[in-house]
Order: sequence, then structure tokens, then C-alpha cells
Amino acid sequence: MRGYRDESIAAAALASGARVLSRSLKYHRPRTFFCLEGHCSGCLVRLSGVPNLRACQAPCAPGAEVEGQNAFPSTEIDLLGAVDFLFARGMDHHTLMTGSSVLNRLANKVVRQLSGLGKLPSHAAPELPEVQRYDVDVCVIGGGPAGLEAAAQVARAGKHTVLVDDQLRPGGSLRADPRTGRGAAEASWRGALAAGVAVLARSTAIGYFPEDDGGVLAVSAPERLYRVYAKQWIWATGGYAVNLPFSDNDRPGVIAARAVGRLLVDHGILAGDKIAVVEAPSLGDDVAALARALTAAGAEVTRVPLERMTTVRGRAWASSIDTVDGRVECDVVAVAAIPAPASEGARQQGCRVVLDPPAGGFRIVVDADGRTTAPGVWACGDVTGYLGPAAAAADGARVGANVAAVA
Amino acid sequence: MAGKIVLCRCEDVTLADLAHSVSRGYRDIEEVKRYTGFGTGPCQGKECLAVVATELAKLTGQPPAAIPPFTSRPPLAPTPLRLLARDPGAHRFEDDQPSGAAWDDAPTIVETK
Amino acid sequence: MQPTIDDEEDDSRADLSGEIRLPATLEGAGPLPARAEIAIVGGGVMGLSIAYHLARRGLTDVIVIERGYLAEGASGRNGGGVRQQWSTEINIRLMQESVELCRRFAVDLGVNVWFRQGGYLFLARNAKEVARLEKNIDLQNRFGVHTRMLDPAQARDIVPELDLTGIVGASYNPSDGILFPWPFLWGYARQAAAHGVRIFTQTPVGTIEPMAGGGYLVKTPRGAVAARRLINATGAWSPQLAAMIGVDVPTHPIRHEICSSEPLKPFLKPMVSELSSGLYCSQSMRGEIVGGVTVPGHGSTYGMGSTLEFLATYARRLVRLMPILGEVKILRQWAGPYDQSPDGNPILGAPADHPDFFLACGFVGHGFMMAPIVGKLYAEWLTGEPPHEIFSRYTLRRFHDGSGASAPKEDFNIG
Repeated sequence: MRGYRDESIAAAALASGARVLSRSLKYHRPRTFFCLEGHCSGCLVRLSGVPNLRACQAPCAPGAEVEGQNAFPSTEIDLLGAVDFLFARGMDHHTLMTGSSVLNRLANKVVRQLSGLGKLPSHAAPELPEVQRYDVDVCVIGGGPAGLEAAAQVARAGKHTVLVDDQLRPGGSLRADPRTGRGAAEASWRGALAAGVAVLARSTAIGYFPEDDGGVLAVSAPERLYRVYAKQWIWATGGYAVNLPFSDNDRPGVIAARAVGRLLVDHGILAGDKIAVVEAPSLGDDVAALARALTAAGAEVTRVPLERMTTVRGRAWASSIDTVDGRVECDVVAVAAIPAPASEGARQQGCRVVLDPPAGGFRIVVDADGRTTAPGVWACGDVTGYLGPAAAAADGARVGANVAAVA
Repeated sequence: MAGKIVLCRCEDVTLADLAHSVSRGYRDIEEVKRYTGFGTGPCQGKECLAVVATELAKLTGQPPAAIPPFTSRPPLAPTPLRLLARDPGAHRFEDDQPSGAAWDDAPTIVETK
Repeated sequence: MQPTIDDEEDDSRADLSGEIRLPATLEGAGPLPARAEIAIVGGGVMGLSIAYHLARRGLTDVIVIERGYLAEGASGRNGGGVRQQWSTEINIRLMQESVELCRRFAVDLGVNVWFRQGGYLFLARNAKEVARLEKNIDLQNRFGVHTRMLDPAQARDIVPELDLTGIVGASYNPSDGILFPWPFLWGYARQAAAHGVRIFTQTPVGTIEPMAGGGYLVKTPRGAVAARRLINATGAWSPQLAAMIGVDVPTHPIRHEICSSEPLKPFLKPMVSELSSGLYCSQSMRGEIVGGVTVPGHGSTYGMGSTLEFLATYARRLVRLMPILGEVKILRQWAGPYDQSPDGNPILGAPADHPDFFLACGFVGHGFMMAPIVGKLYAEWLTGEPPHEIFSRYTLRRFHDGSGASAPKEDFNIG
């Protein structure tokens, strides 16, 4: 397989026609790329002897060994997929085979052998890296449109600012939206750097620990753990690209619309020739923009409202969808759901959230200035409820200015 | 492949599984998590928490705002043990000693300004 | 001595096949009944085990009152270990019986608990720890538990991933095991409810008033119930509940943290534990490495927050013990309270001045594995059988009159 340097293994694999990467835990249903943002579990592969790594967050490197997981004999033809047919109406594994002790002992043996995803790593860790510490005025979590603008505002006011972003390259949803695109992402990133922000890419906030050292944010990068201490915190973690509930919505070939946009806008890859977009209400403008860009790139695009959607057809990969209005042939089903606010880190800091389905899920509750309910903790952008890239950037700039005024 | 509406792809939890859990009396979001296993896989609920909570509100006839999220547990992303092993916050037991080159006595924290 | 439980299939299991729903009471609907023969406070494994065994013995006028949801406390937060390697005769014998009940649980109660007897391997890093294991093994062997001492190479035959540096010996009992805690509670609850026990979740107890002529009036937001007998099965929260009627229970909560890894294909057979740090880990039926370590020095707390200190300590100890796990990823961590008693032994039975108020606390993090047998013994006693010796030995009184001073103290509360 060939890929560009720093391109993700997922993007390179998709471009070279890779399909099923692994099988699911319970029913052994085929699994592959969905979000391409390092958040879902679709693209877990074994990478150079280490199990369960996300292909979409691993850059191409010479000699990297990529293997599929959890299937026999292969991920495309998995005999254990029979589990899915046997339990077509679902399976309550809590009561499965509790009828007799003989059956139950057998069930225990079989389930144990079927359990687990990847195999044990093939080698010990080559090194145990030192931990690095950041003491800053302001820590911004999330390097999408809101976070980059907020961090730049704060840093321009002379505050020592660190920004952590979990993607291969910062920019977040800017890189997935044809109305903004890679250029806007790079410009916003450069703007933050020029303002003096320390940007940690490929760095994930893994937890806020209030009892450790008076409160510390642990951040993991591929080769290092950081301890971040800050006086003010800004959550700009955006929203996760999620699925919509329809029949066989987990079939390979069903991909987040934002991932389809990201492939086109950031990687120059057209995800399919015939793309069916299943969309939640209220995302009309976003989907229209994406559809225009896909059409301009040569794809045939059909838009289907969620309530008209029936099911996905195809074996290893989606080949058509059934709708109330008839069958639509396709080779990719793009799901446009309202992104789900990534608020779980802020919750560890004590921020109140509320379930608000039109906003995408559990949004962080903020006041007019962007303050959360936790002292010294702010939030902006899609994590406070879905705004979209342009509005999120504006929100980030506004809240960043408010933080700069008090930090 | 059977027609399943999958809410949690990590653990293969379907809308029918959620309804089954509710019908058995497990309706608190924490109980639903434990009974169905949703949100306990590699993504830890990033993809499924909002949709499960929304569907749970519908199934139980509650307003969405009455459904809290399940407890947010660290680490927020899968974190290899090797990154944590030399954190200076680790408790040192009496028998804690270097065992091999990786455990040398170099400072385990680097100041960054 | 062999376990005393016969090996016949249990024919009292209610038929819950098909679409039978739980009684509405588990959904927390409706007011409490005005009266009950026995009220059990605490919907954890201890309370539900007692309720289930009472119901099986025909005493069904029982209600269980749980503050939150089933398994919200320590019962839903433990690592699922079930072992017979203890340092006192009574715990060894009790756990032999508990293991038998665990083996039959899935079929007896119709719920999979994924009990897997992969053994328990305790690792010693110095001669003193070896001596401690050897002394325990002598006692365990006398009661028919086939624990044996292993040299480091033999330990590595069982767990090839071990780094033997600094390991000087190990004890191993192949019939110890692990299970999946939550379904245990669901199994007890469903079967108890099917027999007529009423279970109220989301029902915090506000006050308890002793009634003239015996019994207690237990008041909750869902109404009050007059119970002739009251069982405090609230685990680490037992002192708070007992204080409502002026009973002083000298246990205190100690937070223990635990974490779970990504699911891996099966490779680890036994539960592995290290004496010096209290490190333990096992591989669940889902394939996750579930484990913890004893981080000292946080004092008494009901706090269930997670710390980086724990995560780092666990990583440091586990990667040293099994270097191959360095690239293995932690998925989540959580915490639960150990109910720490002054002498490491539980507190059971009723105080002299409150003969209708029964305690079941002080299990120091091991109440889950004890609950199957303790619930059974409690139910036997409360339905008229002569009390088992645990009820005369593990009294609250021993802390006031010194009667427990000469009894053997359990000192193997590891992990």
C-alpha cells in the first residue's frame, strides 16, 4: 500500500480500495472507517504489532505493518459472522444458555474464546517516556475553528497559552467543510502559532483530575504524557461525527458525512461515485454545501431525509439503500447527523451539561460570556451546541476575548 | 445480515437491546449502560451516548433534559500504560526499584516553559 | 472438609423465559407497602443475596430499599475476584461454599455471571511474604483447598508474560476465579422479585424510628414501611444508616480505584496479585484486563473520584510485572469504597440493645465474593435455623467488650 507522508493510513487505505478492517465484538459484523476523526472504533487495526490502533490517526510511515483484526479466516469472509444470522433478532447474552449446567459451561468456553478484539502486543514497550509539564495561564482543549480562534485571542493578550488537539493536523471541522477547507484550517493554525500559542498536535486530553496537585489535565501524545496546569480552561472540543438510527446503519460503506467531506476537502479523495446522503433535519445548508462540492468533483449525490430512510443493502459494502420512495443505488452512504458535543472532559471539571437533541446531545451549559458552571472554566463552539465551522470560529474569538480580559 | 439498528458499534448494542433493557426495568442511564454494555467499548460512548440518551428519553416518556449522561471516566481516550508508567505522581512502594534500562533514575518530569 | 452444599440442580428457579417483565416495583413506581416482615436497606449484592435466599426459604414478605440503582455502590465497582486463599479458617470455609454457589449461579438463577475458575496467583517479592503464603497454604490445605507454593519458574509456566525479576515465590490455587459482578445482582433481584420480594430503587432512607413493641418505621420519600426486622446491607454506608437509631458501627470507607483495558483475545488465565503493592489484575470474559493497586494515604472518604496517582501507580507496577502490557491501553477507571473494619473481619448479627436490627458490613472489599454464602446463612438463621458461628463470632459487641481480641484476625485482605 502506498500513501503520502503524514497522510493517515485510513485515507491511504481507502484510496487504494481497502474495505473491511475488522469484525465487531458480539455479532461479528464487518467494521471499517466511519468518522475518520479518531473517535469511533470503526478503523481499529493492528499496527506494527500493537493492537486496536486507529488507522485514521496513524500517519503513513515506511515499513508500517497494518493488519485486520478479530476475524477468521479474514475480515472480508468471517465464518463467525454466522453469529449475526443466528441471532437475527438480537441476543440477550445475560440469559444465553442458562438452561443447563452442561450448556452453560459450553457457553462460557465459547464466549471466552470469542471475546476480545486485538491480540496481545507482540513486543514490550521500547521505552517508558518521561512526563512533560506545562504551567500556563490558559489551556485550550480542541484545535478546531473555535479553539484555534480562542487560543489566538488569549495569546495575543499576552497570556501564556497551550492548545491541545487530538488530530493529525489541527483545524477540526474546517478541514471537512467545503465552505472553509484546508486553506482556512492552515490559516487559523498559523494564526494561533503566530500569536504565540503552544500547539500540541496529536495530543488528547485524557482526563481532568481535580484531586491531583490541585487539579491537572493529563494529555497523551503518541510518545509522551503531559501534565497541564492552567489558571483558566477553555473547552473547544466540538462535536463527534455520529451515526443516525436506521436499519443496518453500521454496514461498511456507511460513513459520516463529515468524513466524506474531510476526504474530499482535506485529502482530495472522492469517497464514492454514487453517494447517498442520509440527513437529520436542520442540517440542510451543511448538506447542500457538501452535495454541491461532491457533485462538482464528479459524484452522483442523492439526498434522503432520515424519516424517508428504510435500510441499507449490500454484503461487505453498501450497494444501495431502500427508502420510502424506492431504491437508490450507491457505493457510499454518507450520514449527516448533528455532531454530538464532546463534553465529557468538561464534565470531569464539574461543568453542567444538558441533553438537548437539536444541539446534538449533551451540550455544555454556558452563560452569555462563555462561562461554564465551573469556576475558571469556559466553553465555545460546537461543544456548547452545534453551530457549524464559521459560527464556531466566531464564537471562539468572542469567548477568547472574554477569557483574555479576566485571565 | 439481519436488519439491526445499531446505536453502539463498539459493543453491538441495538435499539432493540435498549428497549429490552427498559422492559426489564433497567431504565437509569447507568443501569442501561451496565445491562446493554453500550458506551463501554473502545470509544467509551463518544459515538453512542447522545443517541442512546435521546432514545431512552423517548422510550421512557421523559423530557431529554431529565436524562443525565453516565459518569465521565478517565481516560477519555485509550491510553497506553507505557505513557503513564513514569508519571511522577505514581506511589512508590518499599520494593520499588529500577528493573532494566527503561526504569533508570533520570528525572521523570521535564519542565516546559 | 468439603463444601456442604449438595450438587443437585436447583428446581426452585422461577420460569422467566419469554417476555415476562420484572414487577413494576423494580422500576421504582408506587409507594412502599405499609408493612413488611423484613426490610433490607441496600440493593447491593449482600442485600439482594439475603433477599433471594429468604424468598427461596418461603419468607417473601420482604422489601429491599435501594437509594440509587442496583449495583450503584461497591457491588458494581469491584473486580469480580472469588478466592479461597485466606488466612483464617472461617473465611476459607465460607469461600469454599461461595465458590460452589458461584459455579451454579448461572443455571440456578438464569443469568450468566461468566464465572471462570482460572485460579489466583499471589506473587511474593521477599522471604517474609513467602512465609506468609506458606502459613496460609498449610491452613488452606487442611480444609481441602488445593493451594500450592510455586517457585518463580513455575509461576511463569502459568503466566508466561511475567517478568520474574525480584519474584521469589508464589501461591496458586486453580479453583479460585473471577466473575462479572453486575449480572449477579440482576439474577438475585429477578429471582427474588419473581418469588414476591418487592424491590424499590431510587428510594433513599430518610429516617428510621424504633416502634413500640419492636420493629422499625423506615421513612422514605416514597412513604414509610413498618418492618418487624431491619437489615442494614448498605456496605460502606452502614455507619450512617446505623447512626439513625444511635448504633455506632466502627467501620469507615476507604476508596479503592480500579481500571479496565481494551479488550484483548484471551491470554491471561489466573488472577495475578502482588503482595507488596496490592496490585492485582485478571482478564474478564470480555477480554479486558481489569485490575487495581492499593494506593495508600487518602484516609476515610466516600469520594469516588478517579486520580492520576492511581493510574500512574497501576501502570508503573503492572508494566514492571508484565512488560508486554506496556502498549496495552487503558479504557476507563473508576472507584468504589471498601468498608474497612477495625480488625479486618466483618460485623454481623444484631446489637444486644437492638435485637431486630441486623448488620452485614465490614467486609473490607471482599463482601462481593462472600455475599453468596453469607446471604444464604443469614436467610437460614432468619427463618429459624440455628445461627451459623459467624453470627456469634463477628459481633458488634467484640469492639466494646474485647471479646474478639483472641479470635484470629484476617490479614489477607490483599487487592
